[in-house]
Amino acid sequence: MMDWWLWPIALFAVTFAIGIVAVLAGVGGGVLFVPIVGALFPFHLDFVRAAGLLLALTGALSAAPALLRAGLASLRLAMPLALIGSITSIVGALVGLALPTDAVQIALGATILAIAALMWRSPARGSEAPAGDALGAALRMNGIYHDAALGRDVEWRVRRTPAAFVVFAGIGLLAGMFGLGAGWANVPAFNLLMGAPLKLAVGSSGLLLSVVDTSAAWVYLNRGAVLPLIVAPSIIGVMLGAKVGARLLLKARPGLVRRIVIALLLISGTRALLKGFGI
Amino acid sequence: MSDEHDIYARWLAWGTYIALAVLIASFLAYAFALRDPHLPPQELVKLWAFPVDHYIVASGAPTGWGWLALLHKSDYLIFSAVAMLGLVTVVCYARLVPLLLAQGERWRALIAVLQVLVLLGAALY
Repeated sequence: MMDWWLWPIALFAVTFAIGIVAVLAGVGGGVLFVPIVGALFPFHLDFVRAAGLLLALTGALSAAPALLRAGLASLRLAMPLALIGSITSIVGALVGLALPTDAVQIALGATILAIAALMWRSPARGSEAPAGDALGAALRMNGIYHDAALGRDVEWRVRRTPAAFVVFAGIGLLAGMFGLGAGWANVPAFNLLMGAPLKLAVGSSGLLLSVVDTSAAWVYLNRGAVLPLIVAPSIIGVMLGAKVGARLLLKARPGLVRRIVIALLLISGTRALLKGFGI
Repeated sequence: MSDEHDIYARWLAWGTYIALAVLIASFLAYAFALRDPHLPPQELVKLWAFPVDHYIVASGAPTGWGWLALLHKSDYLIFSAVAMLGLVTVVCYARLVPLLLAQGERWRALIAVLQVLVLLGAALY
């Protein structure tokens, strides 16, 4: 049997690598952490999901101030949807902790494979403002942000707001149930469904994540699923890895990194599915 | 940048910095056995492969806010950092409410109040 102190060191090394790859691929650390650590380490999935949520939360909390200051995240866009997502993420966390482990493994595996498929396709819209809808206007989900690359202010408003509430309710449920964070789903929902500009969608996704993951994290904390020996090295590893990843971002080939992440998700998603079926 | 973004960003940044500093310091105290833990790491490795309910029964670990009574133990000192991470958004939203009311944005102020209640509900459940 391995000495206990080797586990946090191994966890730190793996999460450091996850932090680098996550930044290069433009995904949150949680979506890689849960399936990979769940497959490689002996921890029960309850503890892995709690740690996944906390590291996604920490990453989102750390990034949000800079995104807000740069005008790339909008409280107007995130607040109404974060409210519904944070309610359903509590439900998701409670359901995830109540279901048998095999059922959660199967659902996790299927979700990870679906995320890999979503990342494979992932079209992105441009930044032109669509015609807004009444609910979005009533909630003042509109504004202007400065796009430094375009060198001009971009006006934005949102459409299909009622449908977005339903979609973000589903995203919150999955985030709470699997501890995945939810950047992989927030960005397409903001950008493709609601018509928010892509840069604003990416920035506001982190802001929304910081709220949605907070409510689910409390459920895991209150149920006793937070193990310091797993949580602390994982958070420190991902945060330091993300800093290195940000430095490598200028030199990396995004297409190659994206393909590596999709391959990792396919392998770890399949592994979770097989574990769930007892294979 | 609007006032609400500026203030929210400032409060969020400070709250997160403090929580991360406490997390790192308390983890070092735990890893290097500077204070006694409630459950030694050698015992924890025997339990972490089991579901959380089994772990709670076998280890005598507290649920809910029971960890507050164990803050003198190094493993539960780390929980104070985790709780700070969970409370920083609550504080930031609470700070937004008077700002939004002053701007006449009553709907968004209501959303902020509801969000605070949801997060506190999750924390106290």
